[in-house]
Amino acid sequence: MLEEKVGPSEMIVHLGPQHPMLPGPFRLNARLRGETVVDSEVEMGFIHKGIEKILENKTYLQGITIVDRICYLAALSNEEAYVGCVEKLAGIEVPERSQYIRVIVEELSRLQSHLLGMGEYASFVGFVSMFMYTIKEREDVLSLLDSITGARITHSFLRFGGVKDDLPAGFKDDVKRVFPNVRKAIDSYEDMYRTDAIYKARTVGVGVLTADIAKDLGVSGPPLRATGVPFDIRKDEPYLVYEDLDFKVCTEKAGDVYARIQVRLDEMRESMYIIEQCLDQIPEGPLFPENTPYGKRSPVMRIPAGEVYHRVEDPRGEMGFYMVSDGSDKPYRVKVRGPVYPTLQALPPLLKGVKVADIVAIAGSMDTCTSEVDR
Amino acid sequence: MDANSIIDSLYSQFPDDIYDTDVESDIRVVAKVKSENITNVCRYLKENLSFGHLSCEFGIDYPDRGEIQVLYVIGSYEHPVVLTLKADLPRDDPQIESVVPVYWNANWYERETYELFGVKFIDHPDLKPLVLPEEMLGEWPLRKDYKGFPNKTAKNLV
Amino acid sequence: MDEVERSEAEQAEVEQNESEYQGYDDIPGVTLTDRNAISDFIKKTKAQDVLNWGRKSSLWFMVNAMGCCGVELLSTGMAHYDTDRFGIIPRNSPRHADVLIISGYVTKKYLPALKRVWDQMPSPKWVIAFGDCAISGGPFYESYSTRQNIDEIFPVDVYVPGCPPRPEALIQGFFELQKKIEAKKDRGTEY
Repeated sequence: MLEEKVGPSEMIVHLGPQHPMLPGPFRLNARLRGETVVDSEVEMGFIHKGIEKILENKTYLQGITIVDRICYLAALSNEEAYVGCVEKLAGIEVPERSQYIRVIVEELSRLQSHLLGMGEYASFVGFVSMFMYTIKEREDVLSLLDSITGARITHSFLRFGGVKDDLPAGFKDDVKRVFPNVRKAIDSYEDMYRTDAIYKARTVGVGVLTADIAKDLGVSGPPLRATGVPFDIRKDEPYLVYEDLDFKVCTEKAGDVYARIQVRLDEMRESMYIIEQCLDQIPEGPLFPENTPYGKRSPVMRIPAGEVYHRVEDPRGEMGFYMVSDGSDKPYRVKVRGPVYPTLQALPPLLKGVKVADIVAIAGSMDTCTSEVDR
Repeated sequence: MDANSIIDSLYSQFPDDIYDTDVESDIRVVAKVKSENITNVCRYLKENLSFGHLSCEFGIDYPDRGEIQVLYVIGSYEHPVVLTLKADLPRDDPQIESVVPVYWNANWYERETYELFGVKFIDHPDLKPLVLPEEMLGEWPLRKDYKGFPNKTAKNLV
Repeated sequence: MDEVERSEAEQAEVEQNESEYQGYDDIPGVTLTDRNAISDFIKKTKAQDVLNWGRKSSLWFMVNAMGCCGVELLSTGMAHYDTDRFGIIPRNSPRHADVLIISGYVTKKYLPALKRVWDQMPSPKWVIAFGDCAISGGPFYESYSTRQNIDEIFPVDVYVPGCPPRPEALIQGFFELQKKIEAKKDRGTEY
């Protein structure tokens, strides 16, 4: 308990649960001596909605709608992890065309998530106008996503064995129209970050994680890759058609706040490159496997009993679902392993010894999504 | 490091504690472990078999068998194998040693398992509720016989 | 003269009530601009129309991202939808804000904090229930951890349905609120 340890000339500052720095409600209690953080503690659960219990009481198809809302910035990765679990348990093969469409929507989702996360971060360190720029590009990306799935945030797009809809007519032309602008915008963001003295003063050398400590803390995703560890589920445990696609795992060496943002910038470029490859390579064919009971609507389906752990690369790191089926039409137990959970947990050791002003810079650079931690 | 050699190595080190092992595929291994020795097994996994990445830790309630199972899904940064360790605990008094000394990030997972299932983690540094308000402690909402679900307080329920 | 005497008596009464009014005592610096004699007098005159015209034209909302809808809340306040056109500006501090947008599931743990945010906002203030979760529980209506029937706790003026609603829907919600304020039918002010 933080309160018991307060020494002379020390004080406790509570940030949150409602605080402009926080993307969702959580509370950060920091024990300060002067302006230095001596110790801190994260309090969670302000938007805990019991998704794991709800999933146990929904049929498999209904569950897709619920898992969408675990992390509202990466709904499609959540769906991929959930649907992948069911497909592994039931032994469903996804046709190649559907796999490509899934890769396209998931990478678009990564693109919009990073655009929002980066813009939000810029506003945390004092560049509110940057947020305006990134949101503008994000709306263009969202309109692409919207044209495929019909929704902006919560898509409910994947189905067991396929996807809900085919790509709309003219999608390739839309991509050709939007992506050059986004590329140009990302270059200009990078330019701003590289040249702005104030931004660099606030980020370079701040909140440094070394590779060993990051591994110990269980961190994954961009914060881990910024320390130089090329840990990416898309490469290490390929799912969908990622094996056939050419992309590199973006890493940086410094492990500080600046490096984390740089990793996200590079990943956005890679995502666009992946989508363009997919559009060139995507074969014609059916969306669902033939002769399968699991069609587009797959009313009531019973999944063979078994247990499976399936993980995918979320915009924030390793997203995994552990699913236990007892042979009925509802899962017996679903565990959601969110990527931000360990990242947020790693804040107190990271914040030890920093100045108060840097709390926002460090916590923001983790791109936390509280909804997914609380579930 | 492949799946079979991991199982063999575990067997030779802990012949009495590891049982019911299964190699599901090249990258998925399952093993049951006796709850008394979980910390030692985890330490061996981390130090000798480079299982450095605790993906998650959670509970499953089996009221028919009178057991609560605690599962550890452990991955690695060096090789692609993911190991699932399962420990069976009696449902009326579930207790298991904490693995926080080995895997630092188990801290929150254990706090969450404690408040949702009532599993007590011995030697945990700070065992208190994580996501639930204090007054809900003791209801163990993720157990199968929890009475508060579905919640019927909403108006206009059909 | 009679009028003034009465309003003085009312003011004394209001002050007395204010000290009893729970929730505001422990928060220093909150003054209730709609609970004094002058404003009570103005409410009976045409001047209130002018005031309401001013109020409806500068609805600053509180950025309080609580769930999926919170992301749409952010988008609404930013460049693409540009609510500045209508005088609707996102504010980070409750003390600057006029509109509280409940943008998601209210859990048992978060409700006290949300109430406190609401208490810190200076009157006149309004509530918009944004999204299905705030209106009726949405997909989480049966959860053990969420608090249902939020409209019994906060005086909600506008309900914006959707899961999550698009930013255009939120802008329309603001227009509905403006219409209500103009017609003096809002719940934020006691007429």
